[in-house]
Amino acid sequence: MSEHHEPGVRIDPREDFLVLDDVHTYFDLGTTLFTRESKGVVKAVDGVTLTVKAGEILGLVGESGCGKSTLSRTIMQLIRPTSGRIFLEGKELSALSDKDIRHERINFQMIFQDPYASLNPRMTVLDTLAEAIRTRHPTAKGNALRGRVAELLRTVGMNPAQMKRYPHEFSGGQRQRVAIARALATEPKLIIADEPVSALDVSIQSQILNLLKRLTREMGLTMIFISHDLSVVRYIADRIAVMYLGRILELGEASQIVDHPLHIYTRALMSAIPQPDPIVERTRHRIVLQGDPPSPLNPPEGCNFWPRSPVEHDERMKHEEPVLTEIEPGHYAANCPFCLQEA
Amino acid sequence: MPLLEVKDLKTSFYTRDGVVRAVDGVSFSLEKGETLGIVGESGSGKSVTCYSLMRLIPEPPGRIDGGTAMFDGQDLLQMNEAELRKIRGRRVSMIFQDPMTSLNPYLRISTQLIEPLRLHFDVDKKAALNKAIAALEEVGIPEASSRIHSYPHEFSGGMRQRVMIAMALITEPDLLIADEPTTALDVTVQAQILDIIKKRQEVLGTAVILVTHDLGVVAGNCDKVNVMYGGRMMESGTAEQVFYNAQHPYTRSLQKTIPSLQTKGAELYTIPGLPPDVSKPIHGCAFYPRCPYPKTGAAEGDRPKLVDLGDGHCFADCHFCDSSAPIESVLTTDVPVEDITPAGAAE
Repeated sequence: MSEHHEPGVRIDPREDFLVLDDVHTYFDLGTTLFTRESKGVVKAVDGVTLTVKAGEILGLVGESGCGKSTLSRTIMQLIRPTSGRIFLEGKELSALSDKDIRHERINFQMIFQDPYASLNPRMTVLDTLAEAIRTRHPTAKGNALRGRVAELLRTVGMNPAQMKRYPHEFSGGQRQRVAIARALATEPKLIIADEPVSALDVSIQSQILNLLKRLTREMGLTMIFISHDLSVVRYIADRIAVMYLGRILELGEASQIVDHPLHIYTRALMSAIPQPDPIVERTRHRIVLQGDPPSPLNPPEGCNFWPRSPVEHDERMKHEEPVLTEIEPGHYAANCPFCLQEA
Repeated sequence: MPLLEVKDLKTSFYTRDGVVRAVDGVSFSLEKGETLGIVGESGSGKSVTCYSLMRLIPEPPGRIDGGTAMFDGQDLLQMNEAELRKIRGRRVSMIFQDPMTSLNPYLRISTQLIEPLRLHFDVDKKAALNKAIAALEEVGIPEASSRIHSYPHEFSGGMRQRVMIAMALITEPDLLIADEPTTALDVTVQAQILDIIKKRQEVLGTAVILVTHDLGVVAGNCDKVNVMYGGRMMESGTAEQVFYNAQHPYTRSLQKTIPSLQTKGAELYTIPGLPPDVSKPIHGCAFYPRCPYPKTGAAEGDRPKLVDLGDGHCFADCHFCDSSAPIESVLTTDVPVEDITPAGAAE
């Protein structure tokens, strides 16, 4: 930790592939029926500034309720941000009208967690993929269309002879492959994968992870990979962002985050992953966090991690708002002095 | 005599589409205070094994086709409903995966917590309530005396799982069956929950069956491990034996697929193919179609027998996975197996 101590993440909307500039997504819970008191505001995404480079895989990690899914839906413009701007290749997505967004969305696609819920059970694989292909090529039909569907299925490691089948005829891993093929069908530049392997068995997980990594490289895609599981993310991601209560606490190269995490929360997350080795697991030191992640409704002030912090802290932690700061080249952390202490 | 000795348990479901052999010949034994981990992928029969022991298999379509489960001298599989009711929740308790659905949303926590006490012991409401408050405090719920009157929806997922643990252990059972107790929880909360189970187990001397798909959870918490695949046992032994001296190709493959054990940058190791369809009869070795070193003949004939290496370490000997098998063991340790502190002795 030396000369690099500039607060804030440097962004350049014209240079970087995807830019999030101080994005906030709040959900207003409205007012009570009679007294008209505010029921409060859920601050799901609370000031995220981030850039994603073309061709990279950014891993987004956090516990449930940290806002990672809301952030992905905000990037997709499925939920419009309350404030802040989002640029994709210099074009400001957050300023586009709903109609223009629909047109733009073929450039960025999403893969969801549950392959059982995200495919239409009444459509064959052929129908599902053909529909997606037509959003890019409205006139595609006949053999050309079928040929493209077959090609997509081969790309994701499935047998094109199965294109007339319905989702229920496939296993979870195969359905996730279909969902990946559907995302690729519109020839997108950016793919957002929201917990794509969490519902799958370990032996199937690695097949899907390999596939996603290979496709990103071969097709020159950019991907945001969202997961609660750091051990999965560290494998697939080039860079990792750690989210907590709507904010990014740490951001850096995957090796920086995994090998020498700076923020106490990242260290605790790393140490909570059970190691599949009896001796290591029984002897290693763990940082145990108390309690559950607090609610994004009325989040704590100051460094929002203080209610669970295992380190000694004083009142300053509850009042001083930390800023994401470059601690070493490319490695950012929220500059709360208590959270960044050496263990 | 072991606390629980299961021999050749077989449970099938008779459906319109055929017979699903969910559990097909599972044997294990468990001593007082020990922890047994059952590992396997979905459909491997690990949950059905637990439900069979608790006799919670819906019949029909399910049926326990054979085997014995001697629990303290009595066969759980032969008991009638009245005998079972005396044991369930009193001497054998269960925690389920999803704490959201296993608590009754209409009843206060207090009502649900004192129910097992009132059923199994002669206590009045007030004494039961005091015991319930103490039980909540023991699993780390702050302000237990006021929060006990809340409803389940007022608790977070981790807190609900704590309530489940408190409820399961309130009668100080001899055996706790935990079916994926942390799968629905975040890693930080998972660590807390596993710690609580371990601490309570030490105090009460309860034996635990921990069902999980996560080899990491097994490594830190279990004395013994059963590896299941396609309703059958592939390998069993102490955690050290199974982790450091894995014999069966499936165990080794499973270890190899774990992302954190892989060399960085390399492609993840994968087991090709899909888990077996247990609704069709499986001939020979269940893992044969996905085995990295299959031999002709393994797909036919009798199922491989469980072979004991002489120290309680058993594996399904498909006579191809002998010590000359070309799949190298994933984990090794320099410490001789005898010198490794057992899980229970760790501080």
